[in-house]
Amino acid sequence: MACTKMSLAEIENSGGPSGPPKQELPVRVRKQLTDTQAAWFLLTPLLLFFVISVVYPVIETIRLSFFDIRGLAPERFDGWGNYVKLFSDPNFLSSLKVTFIWAISATFFSVSIGWGLAMMCSLNPRKTLIFRVMIFAAYGVSEAVSGFMWLGIYRPDYGLLNGILEGVGLSGWTQPWLGNPSTALGAVVIAYVWTQVGLPLMTCFASIQSIPKNLFEAAYIDGAKSGSVMRYIIAPLSLPGVRVAIFINLLNSLKAFDLIFILTGGGPVRSTETVGFFMYRESMLNFKLGYGAASTVILLIAVLVVSIPLIIKRTGDAK
Amino acid sequence: MAQEGELVMINWLGGAQGEMMTKLQESFEAKYPGVTVRNVVPQAGGDARGGIRGLLMGGEQADLLINTWPAFRAELIEAGLILPLDESYDSNNWGDQLGESWRALSRVNGENYGVTYTFGDRSGIWYRTDTMEKAGITPPTTYEDFIGGFSALNDAGITPISVPAKVWAHAEWFESLLLRTAGADYMTRLASGDASWTDDEVKVALQTWQEMLTANCCDDGNTMLALDWDISVDAALKTGDAAYVLMGMWLNTRAKQEYGDTPGEDFNIFQFPAFGLGHDDESMVDAKEFNVLSSVENREAADAFISYMLTADAAEIMAQYGLASPSTDVDPSIYDPVIQRSVSEVTSANKLQFVLGDLLPGDLGSEYRVAMQRFLQDPSDETIEAITAQLAAVANGVY
Repeated sequence: MACTKMSLAEIENSGGPSGPPKQELPVRVRKQLTDTQAAWFLLTPLLLFFVISVVYPVIETIRLSFFDIRGLAPERFDGWGNYVKLFSDPNFLSSLKVTFIWAISATFFSVSIGWGLAMMCSLNPRKTLIFRVMIFAAYGVSEAVSGFMWLGIYRPDYGLLNGILEGVGLSGWTQPWLGNPSTALGAVVIAYVWTQVGLPLMTCFASIQSIPKNLFEAAYIDGAKSGSVMRYIIAPLSLPGVRVAIFINLLNSLKAFDLIFILTGGGPVRSTETVGFFMYRESMLNFKLGYGAASTVILLIAVLVVSIPLIIKRTGDAK
Repeated sequence: MAQEGELVMINWLGGAQGEMMTKLQESFEAKYPGVTVRNVVPQAGGDARGGIRGLLMGGEQADLLINTWPAFRAELIEAGLILPLDESYDSNNWGDQLGESWRALSRVNGENYGVTYTFGDRSGIWYRTDTMEKAGITPPTTYEDFIGGFSALNDAGITPISVPAKVWAHAEWFESLLLRTAGADYMTRLASGDASWTDDEVKVALQTWQEMLTANCCDDGNTMLALDWDISVDAALKTGDAAYVLMGMWLNTRAKQEYGDTPGEDFNIFQFPAFGLGHDDESMVDAKEFNVLSSVENREAADAFISYMLTADAAEIMAQYGLASPSTDVDPSIYDPVIQRSVSEVTSANKLQFVLGDLLPGDLGSEYRVAMQRFLQDPSDETIEAITAQLAAVANGVY
């Protein structure tokens, strides 16, 4: 173990108990970096990139959130004014509610379906390979492309969904799914779940694959049926994969924008306007950059509240 | 004076209009070999203003800006980013080619800040000729004829009006009704904050819209809220599932190029019906103009390009793309029958009114479109009271 604390230079110079006789290296090569120096050397480009692309924009967003900026007019310091306005703005409060419903339902359904599919696929991994690849492929499709596909499915006039419902004699169920404020959010959640279910399927499936085979053998020897195996072995022992899936899908759903933009544009009557979309509207359409930045900070805090405990938990588990 | 050097233009036009602008620039360069046009393209999805603001805030140098939003023009003037053009109007005689109505559209506090190079008749209602034949009706000229034809259309299985209310295009009907019932002067006052959204004029226009909805003019509210503009246009000008659609002149290009239809034969327009309230000779328009940026480095080339855009040669290119020029130097016979009709209606109008939605400042513009969605979903008297009060409240915070 002590070896891990030695620098590369020390290892180089220590000789060693065996091995071919060493050739004398040039002085230029023998001037090795210490581990700490090497670590900084390797990490610096990444850290610089991180500071430029993440840290600076976050700090700038927080700074902007304290200014009143309308269009191209000069910015004016407004203290906590934007935050005070936000929490008395019914449109923002509505977007918070929509975001909560959206994030919880999208995560719940995508992870539940993915987990269920993973457990079923694990009963015969080889025969379900193509099935798993097909479902995961949807995760690789951009939300914009998925959005246009689902637009075709939900179209009120010649849409696929209404066509199917009419075809099976359920004409009374047909409706403008994206135009009805009471169905629009659900319709967008379904489309979003379709794009996201592939990741939970793969993480849960990987988790199931790590379960020791002797547990299954013992269960089957004891006469357990597939249902019991899934319930008492696969489900509880695949929970680490489920937790990862919940974490990733929850964060993805909080950031979701493209699909909502294409399917509903935040409407009808703001019924699908999440905080992310509210931020876009205020910043890019109304061009109130300070106000939009304040809503971004609120969203950032929500993401941190969700992610930090999970990261701490995962780090603790890893130790 | 021989113009030379580089002319930098902030150009956000895409599709057919983007192609048209490229052709216009090439034609200009052929006439002025010493000038090279360079386009700066703002990066933005949807509303191009976000990208343009980003460029200008980032200090991008450019000579000309293509603009179609009067509210944005006001923002640029306030920020000192565009220049007044009165001197250029005089020295280049642009006033001889643009009638007073056009100059008035780009005038702010008595000074001109833009030169309109193309326009659209937004009071023109588009229809397919065979749809009207199928229902056994002719294009109406009065409101009574218009609303009276709904039953014949419905009986023929045709939705009289397709209203794409998903994002923005649904406000046109309200605005046209407001123009006919309250007039252009009132709309100007409403847009500038000098009139209130709770005025009777606004409520009368909404009540007329309510009357049309009650007379089965349209799909149910939720269906309207699910329609993108292209679906509505297809329904009216391609499939004939709907009879009328109210939108900009780009439909002419779409019908010709995408549906392969012949203007004047397969499809046409008629002017928004008359109400007999003294505002029937007023028209609503959209327009695109050039603004000269205060960062201009090649003013001579910028003025030369604007002058070129008002020539018959430029209008010839625009006509190929189904668009009209406001220049008096242009012989209307170069246009197809639909544009000729639009040009005739607009040039003979007593007053021109820019599309209201594009005149409203950002906050109010967003709230206005959502309020109109709310009205279409439930066109009741209670909704009229609620949305006018809401718009008045937002307007109070904006002006």
